[in-house]
Amino acid sequence: MSVLRTTARAPIARTALAVLAVVAVLALTGGLLAPLDPLAQDTARILQGPSGAHLLGTDYLGRDVLSRLLAGTGLSVLTAAEAVAAAMLLGVVPGLASVRFGAALSWISLRAVDALMTLPFTLFAIAAVGVLGNGLHQAMLALGVLLAPLFFRVTRAAALGLDRAQYVEAAELMGASRSWILRVHIWRKVLPTVAVTTAHALATSLLAVSSLTFLGIGVQPPAPTWGGMLAGDLGFLAQQPWAPALPAALIMLTVGALNLLADAVRDAEPADAVRGAGPADTAVRKEHRDGLAAV
Amino acid sequence: MNALADGRPQLARRSFLGLGLGAGAALLLAACGGADTAGTGAPGSSGTLKWGWALPTSWDPVFSSAGWDVHVLSLVYAGLTKLDEHGAAVPALATDWTYAPDGASVTFRLRPGLTFGDGTPLDAAAVKKSLDRGRTDPKSLVAPQLVHVAEVTATDPGTVVLHLTQPDYQLPNLLAGKTGMIVNPKAFEADAAALATAPAGAGPFTLTSYTLNTKAVLRRNPGYWDAASIKLENFELYPLPDATTVVAGLQSGQFDVAQIPGSQVAAAKAAGLEVQVIPSLVVAVLDVNTTKAPFDNPDVVEALKYAIDREALLKTQLFGFGEVNHQPFPKGYVGHDPGSDDLYRYDPDKARALLAKAGHPDGVDLAITTTAAQGLPEQLQAQLKQVGIRATIEVVPAAQATQIVYVQHSKALFTDQFAGRDSAAQAFQVLFGDQGLMNPGRTTPPELKDAVEKVSRTPLDSPDYPKVLQAATALAVRTMPNVFLYSVPRLLARRRSVSQLPASTVVQRFEGVSVS
Repeated sequence: MSVLRTTARAPIARTALAVLAVVAVLALTGGLLAPLDPLAQDTARILQGPSGAHLLGTDYLGRDVLSRLLAGTGLSVLTAAEAVAAAMLLGVVPGLASVRFGAALSWISLRAVDALMTLPFTLFAIAAVGVLGNGLHQAMLALGVLLAPLFFRVTRAAALGLDRAQYVEAAELMGASRSWILRVHIWRKVLPTVAVTTAHALATSLLAVSSLTFLGIGVQPPAPTWGGMLAGDLGFLAQQPWAPALPAALIMLTVGALNLLADAVRDAEPADAVRGAGPADTAVRKEHRDGLAAV
Repeated sequence: MNALADGRPQLARRSFLGLGLGAGAALLLAACGGADTAGTGAPGSSGTLKWGWALPTSWDPVFSSAGWDVHVLSLVYAGLTKLDEHGAAVPALATDWTYAPDGASVTFRLRPGLTFGDGTPLDAAAVKKSLDRGRTDPKSLVAPQLVHVAEVTATDPGTVVLHLTQPDYQLPNLLAGKTGMIVNPKAFEADAAALATAPAGAGPFTLTSYTLNTKAVLRRNPGYWDAASIKLENFELYPLPDATTVVAGLQSGQFDVAQIPGSQVAAAKAAGLEVQVIPSLVVAVLDVNTTKAPFDNPDVVEALKYAIDREALLKTQLFGFGEVNHQPFPKGYVGHDPGSDDLYRYDPDKARALLAKAGHPDGVDLAITTTAAQGLPEQLQAQLKQVGIRATIEVVPAAQATQIVYVQHSKALFTDQFAGRDSAAQAFQVLFGDQGLMNPGRTTPPELKDAVEKVSRTPLDSPDYPKVLQAATALAVRTMPNVFLYSVPRLLARRRSVSQLPASTVVQRFEGVSVS
């Protein structure tokens, strides 16, 4: 909890949290806040500039841009979160298990992770959608599989350092079970590292989701998404050169806020997470960096 | 990097990296440029014209699978005939042709001294071999157009006779397109497969280099029968430019001429480019498979035709360029039936009534298959919803669309464009024939077959021909499920250094075009 308190005291983190709070509210209630039906077409008023009736103008089918931006927030952000949730499930549990449950499991999981890290996000997602069908959940599952190595590596690195801590060895000598040690001594200490990784992974996932929807993969028109709106607007730069800036700004703000928050959590982390880990501290940081760099 | 220098977190470089990454992914930048190529100074010609259009599916006209390819293949191949700006057959490699009085044969007389691009003589024997290949090759895609040709004979080096199983007066038009493009026998006898990337014709240009999906470079063919009309020394061909960058590409000199969408016309004019709106035979159409539910009920098909507001589609999809159309031929073409002009005027009430009659009073579900979801499919979906048709949009990759739609016939409704054909009877075959690519239901009413036969049997110069052809058109649009939406003109933007382009309705030609 001290990590959270330290994080919350940082102005950068507060700014990032404020932005993310707004995005979260829009994601959960954006459709309700939309002033007009985001799917309603008015072909008599296509590509109009901002006005009282349409605060951000209309798109190529006369739909209200503001309403589509608001309604599109949920699909864009929640799908990114879905991919990260899948990645956490597939990465954190094997990451912890690989430390505590034997060399064979460790070796196998590391090789699997090495193989996954060689695959590019977008191409893998397109291939997965081609095989499993063009759907949102298929694309997010593919994305989750490729993000999982990130969680696996940072979780494993942190757990490796803590596994050699004196209080863990003491617990073992006193007869504590492996699962008890994992739950009480390791998991709680690994959490801040997972939090940092989650924020970074969300940013990466949002970019990947935006790229996929930009390409028309996962979410189909007319359902609004930030990436889809960006793609649609690009065809009409001659009429509305400013239009792509709106979804682009939302993507940029959200990704930036997530990265800033991740940095703030990470900077608050050392005082608590890896204190006393001794020589393993360096290894934790190195693997953490490597994991992020692999994104 | 992550030190707590004064007890407070500092903004790390990774933060900036994150912001930059977001910005970079969100804002797409397109950069383009081009380099001029100098001409070789051949007499009467100069300059290079760079055309942003489309590269062909194959440089072999017998195996080209897209109607669109005819524009590019016409640069490197010539036929016995060609089409004038209005779509009428005029002499090309042949100076004239004569039908036997009973219509059982047609005799073409060749120009003297014709050669292919490599200098090989182009005589009647070569024409016979080329046409026979198109007629008899087991995998030929033009063979169905030549079913009425029983035999081709070369009576002397300058005379070719096509013996017919029944009178077919469409042949001079038909032979102006891919079907009649004369391929050098020396090339296909040596290595026919090589023609896919190395054309061997007698057209205005010869291909000098070709990079798949990227670029084709052509050079003027001095041996072309009408070489005096070709003012361009070099010709470069590029894939269709992206709508977002096409105007910038023209401004920068990456292209000299390019096809542009209606949304870019104002921008092109504002950029100082010339824009030509050339009427064409291209028509937007929905391919309907009557073997798939719900279109196995004719009332649902008719409801679909009345449920579409074509005026609204034209406004948003083409920005008003082109014309609403309920039939395969545009106004001004001989096959256009004035009686079908307003046949399926937007009538949502009638559409709902037809759906109810078909047993769907609460509406019906279907899928719109397309290669690009944005735009027309979205608008169709919204219009169909108004009458109770709940449509989902299913995107298939463009590269697989031919296989899925035209070969497997596995989709009920597909958004398509018909590129037009050199001959009206050929257009009927593609759109409505029981083997027609755009007739996924594979059924044709006997009365329509008879009407098309009558078209083929009527001489093009007969006073009855327009009436016979228009009657076939009227019958086709009333009995076939294809839903025609609007005619699509050819919108070509060009730099001011390029002279006016011929307004060819069927095939874009470049006779007389120069670059200063």
